[in-house]
Amino acid sequence: MAAVLIKPAVLYEAGTILGQGNKRYRIDTHWSQADVARFPVNDCHEMIQDRSGRILLLTNETKNNVLVYDKKGRILTTWGHEYPGAHGLTLFDENGTEVLFICDNARHQVIKTTIDGRVLMVLDYPRETGRYTKPEEYIPTETAIAPNGDIYVADGYGKDFIIHYDAQGRFINFFGGRGTEEKHLLNAHGICMDFRSGGAPILIVTSRQQNAFKRYTLEGAYINTISLPGAWVCRPVIKGDYLYAAVLQTNSRQGDQSGFVTILDKNFTVVSNLAGSEPNYVDGKLESMYQTIQCFAYPHDVCVDDDENLYIAQWNSGKVYPYKLSPVI
Amino acid sequence: MKLLFFQTLYLLMFHYGAAQEAFRLAKPIIGYRSAFFNDSAVADLRFAQAGTQIYYTLNGREPTEADSKYQRPVVIKESMTTLKAKVFGRGFFPSATASVTFIQDGLPIKSVEQPAGDENFKGNGAATLQDNLGGIADMHSTNFIGYRRDSVTILITLDKPQSVQSILFDFLQDEGSWIFLPQKVEVLFYNYKNRAYDPWLEKIFSPDSLIKGSSTVLAMLTSGQKLVTDQIKVMLRPLSSIPAWHPGKGNKAWLFIDEVKIY
Repeated sequence: MAAVLIKPAVLYEAGTILGQGNKRYRIDTHWSQADVARFPVNDCHEMIQDRSGRILLLTNETKNNVLVYDKKGRILTTWGHEYPGAHGLTLFDENGTEVLFICDNARHQVIKTTIDGRVLMVLDYPRETGRYTKPEEYIPTETAIAPNGDIYVADGYGKDFIIHYDAQGRFINFFGGRGTEEKHLLNAHGICMDFRSGGAPILIVTSRQQNAFKRYTLEGAYINTISLPGAWVCRPVIKGDYLYAAVLQTNSRQGDQSGFVTILDKNFTVVSNLAGSEPNYVDGKLESMYQTIQCFAYPHDVCVDDDENLYIAQWNSGKVYPYKLSPVI
Repeated sequence: MKLLFFQTLYLLMFHYGAAQEAFRLAKPIIGYRSAFFNDSAVADLRFAQAGTQIYYTLNGREPTEADSKYQRPVVIKESMTTLKAKVFGRGFFPSATASVTFIQDGLPIKSVEQPAGDENFKGNGAATLQDNLGGIADMHSTNFIGYRRDSVTILITLDKPQSVQSILFDFLQDEGSWIFLPQKVEVLFYNYKNRAYDPWLEKIFSPDSLIKGSSTVLAMLTSGQKLVTDQIKVMLRPLSSIPAWHPGKGNKAWLFIDEVKIY
């Protein structure tokens, strides 16, 4: 018992700091003040911040599919009971009104709602593509919305196609899917619009089992691949000059809670891994990345708020609420 | 004692509301081409996290900060050497131990004949089970042949009749991907006296009760006395029914194997 009396250094650290370079963060695992008896969560899949600064969390717990927090972690309100497979959450500013797009894995649908949950549109499985014969083949994971309202759906747990609709939900075309060419995808888990170049927006699509992001034009023409060796990246999230992504797990330790968070600059160079290995490029090639600190299990999404804080939602991680990471100046 | 210390420390910290500040380091990465070798094997250890240090042992003991500090790749020349590595760093609980056992080639094998693997897990060609490549826990590696069938019979022919005592298998265990150890391994040897295969060794595996990630599992079966033969028949019985605790309950499990050796 004598060992118990020793004062370990661990207790005197002000808080664990994650990451490298100028993208370092202090982690707070107790950010959420939600009462688990009143506001339970299952998998915490994705988060966004709305215009008024609130943080919305999407979970596949139908007692409250959406938890609405303030930045201090207090629950403001909740809504949603009809999304058993709630997975993807995308915010879009539609002519001054914020709307949400929810991908539901279990319903095999994409649902557009108001910011407080009123259903505006439901997109069923894309039979127009000629590649699907029944809803069960379609398991959408994410959406991205173009400035004109066009909707791009990633069928990340289905057939890995990206399906393109107009703002009214009319089918336009599809691309991606599985195959052996560079333009193909494997586990197209996420998609986002990249406006950083200043020209026409570019689509960035996750190909998670290939440990990569792939870039396409809005018409679906393949541009190039951003290789992220070892990392099962979830959706790309762009804020300012940077791209953030939760890494569900790493190749070297699959099924073993080996996730971390990766941050890329606008040249798609990895500049920091939060709870992950310091990125190392040899002859321009990124070496395999892996978890170094076990503070996340299976991180699934990153939300960046207006003060540059990060919120990390996790899948299959003991029903934990999101963690908050504050930048270290 | 050390475990007790950390458990107590954790409880104390939790009690004082500081638990979120202390985390465990992840295991270091052990890099190697194959766990099987002819003359020697080389392993490098990786852990790119500032303020941490890897310590390792080759004697089977748990690494401490009194053991060798990792500085350069480790060369292994002795068969069945287990490299154990652990990371220490100020402000963190030490990592769990990463370990790999390196195995030198066994008796010269003329041929290994096995059934074709599943379409997606065909392995590395006919020599997959005797190519000295493997021991890396990755189901997508072509070192492995993957089967989903009732039984897998493997015929091993040595280059000449000789004295044998043990057989070694390397399996993959990855319950999350429905890959389990075989429920039964039966080994027979060709007995020239009665011109038939006679039973030699046997092992039964019970499926685990939880998913533990992905790992390779060495299974060495050894007999009390040596016998002389040049032909060995192995009958592997993949797990016929995944247990009730698993999402795939009742289904046939996968069996993955990457190497067989005779000693």
